[in-house]
Amino acid sequence: MIPALPSPLTRADRLLLAATRWLVPIPEREDWLRSWQAELWHRSYQRIPRPAPALVLGVIQDALWLRTETVSRALTGTPSLCILLLLSLLLLATIPAIIAAGSLHAFTVIALANLPRIAAEASLIAFVSLATAVTSFEENLSSPHRLRIKARLFLTAKMVLILLLSWMLTSDFTWPIRPFLPFTALVLQSLSFVLLSLLGLRWSSLDTALRCQHCLCSLASPARVGRPSWNFLEFNGTELVCKHGHGHLSIPEIETSWHQSSVWVPTS
Amino acid sequence: MKPPRLSHSAALILKALSLGYCFGFDIMEATGLPSGTVYPALRRLERDELVVSRWESEADAAAAQRPARRYHEITHSGKAAILAATERYPLLARLLPEKHV
Repeated sequence: MIPALPSPLTRADRLLLAATRWLVPIPEREDWLRSWQAELWHRSYQRIPRPAPALVLGVIQDALWLRTETVSRALTGTPSLCILLLLSLLLLATIPAIIAAGSLHAFTVIALANLPRIAAEASLIAFVSLATAVTSFEENLSSPHRLRIKARLFLTAKMVLILLLSWMLTSDFTWPIRPFLPFTALVLQSLSFVLLSLLGLRWSSLDTALRCQHCLCSLASPARVGRPSWNFLEFNGTELVCKHGHGHLSIPEIETSWHQSSVWVPTS
Repeated sequence: MKPPRLSHSAALILKALSLGYCFGFDIMEATGLPSGTVYPALRRLERDELVVSRWESEADAAAAQRPARRYHEITHSGKAAILAATERYPLLARLLPEKHV
């Protein structure tokens, strides 16, 4: 509660707080306002000479920090952020290709002409990548069907975006040599596309394995459990937890008959 | 646990807190840092659990005829961090005078 004292704040201070308070997230707004009222009161009371722009900047930067921190806390590790980042990278990688093609229309024509080749290469790469994925984790069969579909959709979206991004990047990379050495450029692009896609898809499967099976957020706080010298007597590995408390993932250091792969343990 | 590495301004603010400067303007006056640096830095230090904050009681504030202030205090982790920062920035100890209450 704001103390019932006569406010010595100047009209400019009051206007500044009223205008900036909207930047602050609602749960923290009252506290922020109270802090700044006290701070500005102190300045007015003590007659501390401070250049006005410095204080305006302070009030705004403080409010902005609270806003960005809230957004960052809410988005960090979420599947939406992952997809958004991949989409942004794809858009960034598309810009040089559009510039090189001359126009968006020319770029679309080139892309459509290459589509069957890209689709064939991408399908093959995706198949090889999924067939040779080292990371395996036991899917929690007791989890609702809806969650399993959500997880598979997320993995598919990531894989598609990675394949498109790899193709765009390799296309950007080989574009300068294409007019002079078309065959070399084609071979170089195909090879680099395979390499980049395989690396990207491997990251994708690892990233999916290290996400909560309920909310698909990245798991955090890795903790070592057990002793390596007791491998045959007890579990030895790493545990990661979901920051929203949906469960934890146990990853064994070495495969044992009772703990062959990573196990997702939901919080009951 | 290893204390976190602090920037020079964060170390200066933490040092000011350890010397008894305990609220925003007080720290600004002692360190000479602008408000745009001090307030976000205090929030970061609080998020990293190097600093805790508490509101002054309404009774104390009313007795002093002013609004309640938000006081910041350095934590145990903060003390460890400032010790490490003083080794890293040796001049830090000489930059700020102890607060006389």
